[in-house]
Amino acid sequence: MQYQTRRSIPTLLTTIGALAFLFVPLFIVILFSFHATDALTPPFEGVSLRWYREVLADDAVRDGLFTSLRVAVLTAVTTLIFGTAAAYGVSRTAGRAGAAYATLFLLPIAMPGLILGVALLSFFSNRSISLSTLTVVIAHTVFVAPVFFIVARTALDRIDEAQLEAAADLGATPGYRFRKVILPQVLPVLLAGAAMAFVISFDEFIVTFFVIGNESTLPLVIFSRLRRTIDPSINAISSLLLFLNLALWLAALLYSLRLEARRRRDALAQVQG
Amino acid sequence: MAPTNEAEHKAFAKTQLSIQHLTHRYGDDEVLSDINLDVTEGEFITFLGPSGCGKTTTLRAIAGFITPTEGRVLLDGDDITDLPAHKRPVNMVFQQSTLFPHLDVGQNVAFGLEVAKVPKAEREKRVREALSLVKLEGFERRRATQLSGGQRQRVNLARAIVNRPKVLLLDEPLSALDLKIRLDLEVELRRVHRELGATFIYVTHDQREALALSDRIAVFNQGRIEQLDKAEVLYREPNSQFAASFVGDANVFAIDIASIGDATVTTTDGLELPLITDQAAVGPHWLVVRPEDVRFDTDTAGVEATVMDAAFRGASVTYRAECSALGASIKAEIPDEIPGTTIGRQVQVSWSGQRARLLPRQV
Ligand SMILES: Nc1ncnc2c1ncn2[C@@H]1O[C@H](COP(=O)(O)OP(=O)(O)OP(=O)(O)O)[C@@H](O)[C@H]1O
Ligand SMILES: [Mg+2]
Repeated sequence: MQYQTRRSIPTLLTTIGALAFLFVPLFIVILFSFHATDALTPPFEGVSLRWYREVLADDAVRDGLFTSLRVAVLTAVTTLIFGTAAAYGVSRTAGRAGAAYATLFLLPIAMPGLILGVALLSFFSNRSISLSTLTVVIAHTVFVAPVFFIVARTALDRIDEAQLEAAADLGATPGYRFRKVILPQVLPVLLAGAAMAFVISFDEFIVTFFVIGNESTLPLVIFSRLRRTIDPSINAISSLLLFLNLALWLAALLYSLRLEARRRRDALAQVQG
Repeated sequence: MAPTNEAEHKAFAKTQLSIQHLTHRYGDDEVLSDINLDVTEGEFITFLGPSGCGKTTTLRAIAGFITPTEGRVLLDGDDITDLPAHKRPVNMVFQQSTLFPHLDVGQNVAFGLEVAKVPKAEREKRVREALSLVKLEGFERRRATQLSGGQRQRVNLARAIVNRPKVLLLDEPLSALDLKIRLDLEVELRRVHRELGATFIYVTHDQREALALSDRIAVFNQGRIEQLDKAEVLYREPNSQFAASFVGDANVFAIDIASIGDATVTTTDGLELPLITDQAAVGPHWLVVRPEDVRFDTDTAGVEATVMDAAFRGASVTYRAECSALGASIKAEIPDEIPGTTIGRQVQVSWSGQRARLLPRQV
C-alpha cells in the first residue's frame, strides 16, 4: 500500500515553496545568460547571445573546458578498468573475505572531499610527485571509484554462478568466460557507470582544487572568473554546463529505460515459458 | 543371461571412467563416503537416490567443479582429479537450465565449438545436427527466453552433445518437466545415446526413469553406493532393504523365521509364507515381494487380509489390503479387477515363492 499525505493548503504551499527554491535560481541563471546588458539582476532588458559568444571566444574558458574533458575522460576510463576489476574480484570471492574487500573499496565514499584533497596532496608532495592533470585524474578516480564499484557489483552479482560453470564445462578458460559470458551481459551497466564517473569528474571542484598543477579545469576557471568580475558570461558558462549535463543524464536515462524494458520483456517471456 | 557372456563383455569392453575411493566433506559434513565405480565406454549409467544423497556432488567431482577431499577420478586411465573443469573432455547438463541469456539458441549450442575454434562452416553444420537430434530444427535464432521449459532443456542437451564429449553427465535434466514431455524426452535420450555412442551418466531420483533408461543403476544412499547392478538384477535381487524399497514398488515385511520348509518358511508367529530360496536361514529377515507378484484369492489358502483400497491404473488395478498377521499393509498390482473384491472384503493373500526375496535384518 502506498502512503498518501492528505492534500491540504499548507502541504501544497510547502511543496510549491520547495520547488521554487530549487528551480527559480536555475531559471534566473539561464535567463540572464541571454541578457543584453551586463546586469545580473532584474529588470531584464532584452535578449542577446553576446555572453555565449564572449565565453566561447575566451582562451581560458576553452583551455579549462579541454582540461576538464581530458580529465573526465581519463577518469572514466581508469575507473572503468580498475572499478570493474575490483568489483569482479569481490563478486567472485566467497564468504567473509569478499565482504571485507567490499567494505574496503566502499570506504572512501564516507570521506569528505576536503579530507581526501588534503590527504592526496600530502601524499603527492611526500612522494615528490609533481601536481598535474595526472594527479587530478588519480584523485578523481579515488573519489568516484566507490560509486562505480556499487553499480558494477550489482550487475556482476546478477550473473548466476551456474552460467560460469556451464561455460567452464564447455571448455572456456577464466579469461574467455569473462570476455564472452560476463562482459556482454554487464557492459551496458559498466558504460553507464563510466558515464557517471565522467559527469562527477567533470564538475568536481574541491579535490581538484588541492591536487591540480598549473592548468585549470573548467570549474576552477569559473571560480577565478567569479572573483574578478561578475557578469552574465558566468551565467552563460553555467547554462552551457547545465545543458551538457542534462543531455548526458537524459541519454543515460533513456538508455537504462530501454534496458529495463528489455529485461521485463525477457522475464515475462520466461514466466510464460 | 549366461554369466560367461557377461564376463566376455567385461573383458572386451574398456573401462573409460573410473572413480576410486571418492570421499568428499564440506567442513565436518561427509557427503560422499568411499564411492567406487568403473564405467565402461558407451555405457548408460544412472545414479539413483533420494534428495541430498550426493548424486550431484559426485557428478561435480567428475566434471571438475569440486576437488574431492579424498579419492581419484580416472578418465581413460589418466588421473584427472586435479584437472580444472575447462580441460576435461566431459560435458554436463545441469540440474537447472544454464543457457546464456545474451546469446540465441544457435550461439548457445555453438559455444563449446567456438571455444575449441572449430571452423565456422563445420560449426554451423554440427549445431544444425545437434538441434535436429533434439528435434529443434530451425530454432537457431530464438532467444533462450522465448522457449518453453522442455525446449530449453533440450537446448541444454544439444549444447552439451554438440562437443561430442567422451562422457556426458546429465543431472536430472527432465525433473522440471511434466510427464508427457518427460516420456518423449526419455525416448529421445535413449536414441541420442545410441547415435552418439558416448558414455552417459544420468542422475535422477525417479526410479521409473532409472529403470527405463539405464544399462546399470547405482543406488545412492547417504553418500554411499548401496548397490550397482543392471536394472533387472536390481529389481529382482535387491541386496538391501533400501534398494528394494527405492527401486520399484515393494512390499517389505519384517519377519522372524522359525523353520524352513520346501517352498515356504514358517515365522515365529506360526505364519506359513511362500518362499523358494537357497539362502533362507532362521532368524530376523526382511521379506521383499513386488506388488505385481502378489495374488488375491477368495477361496485358496494364504495370509488373511482385508481389502482397504482399490485404484484403477489403466492397465492394472492396484489394491491395498491390511494384513494384521504380518503387521503391514500389502500392495498388489493385478492386471484385471478381481470379481468380488470390494473394499472391506476378506481375501487370502499369496505370492510367487520364486519371486519373493529374503534379506538379512538387524535387530
Ligand atoms: N556447497 C555445499 N556446501 C555444503 N554442503 C553442501 C554443498 N553442496 C551440497 N551440500 C550437501 O551435500 C549433500 C549432497 O548434495 P547433492 O547436491 O550431491 O545431493 P543430490 O543427491 O544431488 O540431491 P538432489 O536430488 O536434491 O539434487 C547434501 O546434504 C547437501 O546439503
Ligand atoms: Mg542434485
